[in-house]
Amino acid sequence: MPTDRSNTAPFGLTRRALGRAALVGGAAAGLGLPRPAQAAGKTLVVGASVFPDSLRPGISSFASSSLISQTNEALYSRNNAGQAVPGLAESHRQLDEVTTQFKLRQGVKFHDGSEFTAEDAAYTINYVINPANGYGSLARIAPITQATVVDKYTLNLTARAVFPTILQGLTNIQIQSKAYFERVGFDGLAARPMGTGPFVFQRWVPGDRYELTANKDYWGGAPKVDRIIVREIPDPGTRIASLVAGETHIIEEVPIDLIPQVESSSVAKLDEIVSSVGLILTYDVRVPPFNNPKVREAFDYAIDKEAIRRELLKGRGELLQGQLLTSTTFGFNPALKPRPFDPDKAKAMLREAGFNFRTPIPIATQSGKYLSDVDICNAAAGMLSNIGVNATVNVVEGGVWTQMQRAQRAGPMYMIGWYSLGDADFAAVWFTEGSRRSVWKNDEYERLFVEARSTNDQEARERAYHRMMEILHAENPAMFLFGLPSLYAVNKKVTGFGAASDKILRLAAADIA
Amino acid sequence: MLAYAARRLVILPLSLFLVVMVTFVVLRLTGNPVDIFLDVTSTPEQVAALTEKLHLDEPIPVQFLIFLRDLVQGDFGQSLQFNEPALQTVLQRLGGTLQLAGTGLLLAIVLGVTLGLVCAVWRDRLADLVISSLAVAGQSMPSFWLGILLIQLFALNLGWLPTSGAGGWRHIILPAITLATILLPNIVLITRASVLEMSGEQFVIAARAKGLSRLRVLLTHVLPVSLNPLLSFLGIQIGTLMGGSIITETIFAWPGVGRLMLTSISNRDVPVVEAGVLVIAVGIALTNLAVDLLQMLIDPRIRRH
Repeated sequence: MPTDRSNTAPFGLTRRALGRAALVGGAAAGLGLPRPAQAAGKTLVVGASVFPDSLRPGISSFASSSLISQTNEALYSRNNAGQAVPGLAESHRQLDEVTTQFKLRQGVKFHDGSEFTAEDAAYTINYVINPANGYGSLARIAPITQATVVDKYTLNLTARAVFPTILQGLTNIQIQSKAYFERVGFDGLAARPMGTGPFVFQRWVPGDRYELTANKDYWGGAPKVDRIIVREIPDPGTRIASLVAGETHIIEEVPIDLIPQVESSSVAKLDEIVSSVGLILTYDVRVPPFNNPKVREAFDYAIDKEAIRRELLKGRGELLQGQLLTSTTFGFNPALKPRPFDPDKAKAMLREAGFNFRTPIPIATQSGKYLSDVDICNAAAGMLSNIGVNATVNVVEGGVWTQMQRAQRAGPMYMIGWYSLGDADFAAVWFTEGSRRSVWKNDEYERLFVEARSTNDQEARERAYHRMMEILHAENPAMFLFGLPSLYAVNKKVTGFGAASDKILRLAAADIA
Repeated sequence: MLAYAARRLVILPLSLFLVVMVTFVVLRLTGNPVDIFLDVTSTPEQVAALTEKLHLDEPIPVQFLIFLRDLVQGDFGQSLQFNEPALQTVLQRLGGTLQLAGTGLLLAIVLGVTLGLVCAVWRDRLADLVISSLAVAGQSMPSFWLGILLIQLFALNLGWLPTSGAGGWRHIILPAITLATILLPNIVLITRASVLEMSGEQFVIAARAKGLSRLRVLLTHVLPVSLNPLLSFLGIQIGTLMGGSIITETIFAWPGVGRLMLTSISNRDVPVVEAGVLVIAVGIALTNLAVDLLQMLIDPRIRRH
């Protein structure tokens, strides 16, 4: 495991950043060359940072959902802000504690011309909830026990218990055509996705491109462009160069250090939104020194989070308010405030707690998993060093990282980001025992989590989450850092596109002027 | 010579076995594909089912024997990521890498030998000083840096070539130059040194004494024997070229086997990594064998050893 020790200049340029800086200079003056127009009409090209391994439905990676949701839709979908909005279902109502009835959209056609009905929705959901099928996102709707067809456009979903996050859960389940699914099987869906979505699958070349054409009969209105090409361009410098050169119109994942290059370009502009990911530094509270709550609290005073946000995130994203949830997430507690930066107080508290300053504190992180992850860890280690803590940064390769996580041996301090997707339930779960991810345990927190999950009363849920955030704030099982921004860059001629908090490309309304 | 080739071919499976074993053990020890492959929300039942399917509940030596048993039947197993036969996944992407590496290698050899000759012929003159200095500078330049500069100049500022991706012949130019530059400086310097060394040999003086022109002596007598050190160098550097293609493929978003290997390693997709490693290892071993045989053909002295 490579160790990256950086006690000195926390804001120094990394080698990678220097490499990228090479592009910054002249790209500013880069010429946006007009490309010859496609004979087939308007083609919108997207530069993606990473492709999923396959188009198999049910893998809840953003890369996978982003591509699949071009062709397939869910009963409720998410908008760019992450809220659940009607999709293939127009509305829903609660029949009793555990049964929800969905009115489906009428006149919706699959790409093969067949009509979408409740049969398709019921078939897909019953497939997903059958554990024998090993569907990846099963856990998102695990409480559902049965999907029943009431009539052609009405569907009932029955859960084994109260299921307050059913709409958010359903946004992860892409509906398939029953006839097509039965004919081609699960692997067939991955080989050739076919659904009701705004775009029709044409070609998938792993490592290179994903091609789609517009679904002119789309129920939400025909897309504005005729063709979509999503290209995988892993290197961020190249991704931006392709945008400035006019080869791509939209690119994902703009690294902070390359923002100036986008902003100074005459053809491109930045598009950002606060994502729902809360970036935190988690402590191993089972062993010294972090089994002492005083030490954890002291560490919180030692890091100038606002300075890190200003310098490393260039003021983007948001400072977490002393809690896991970002400010737009349901359950966010507005009464809590982050602890101020006070290194003297931190040092005094550590002395008082009998902290041994010689104890090595390696901060484990992956590289490139979250925006500026390694840089943020370096800055945190630098600030800890300033008060005499023997902090280092330990950059871990992805496979090893997952193994450490599963074994719950990630070291005394590690960086991780938890997505809430708009509802506290999805993020708060990671501090419960059942998640197998938390070594910190708190009985009241556990009880409140179950309580919030067992009622449809949204006010009661919110109260529970507010109290849970208070507990996290007081107990400091982790240091709460930032709500990360989701950064895109787009050609100035592109309209109808918006940065998405959940990193799903929504292109139905996108157009090139 | 045939005996030599036969001996080498006997050792080959042993080297390949070692490569396969080390790859397998290291990947298994450093990461569990189940953790990586399954969703964070996966249930214990899902974990148990996949663990059993991949034989991950067995000790690693047993796992390796199972893997080996399938392998000798030509079955690398299913790719975890792509859900298709692993060898098929690798072969699909191999074409892109061969295209890129082949073009890069050809470019490096043609350009490198020519420039090396120029340096040797006009030794210590301006051309030699300029080319040799550039070669030394090139040796110390990281290829990713050059790739970025090339994109900057030819794709952004001049707009002559595309920044990235695969498509027509225009797409391969920048990545091929980037890849060629990994070997080019050394080829120039080795050719130069080798030609200069050979130029002082007695057979050269004899050839000149027979009345052959300088150019004729250079091309028919000096150059062929000077190629031997170059061939040894290239044989050793084929591996470097493969490594360089991973970086080049990443910078230029070129769909090749290098990037596939990189993602497969981080996903601990053992079947794909093993298939890729074996294909590359066989390729490198056979290239080295071909280089050795070629050297024997060119230089009779080697045959006697």
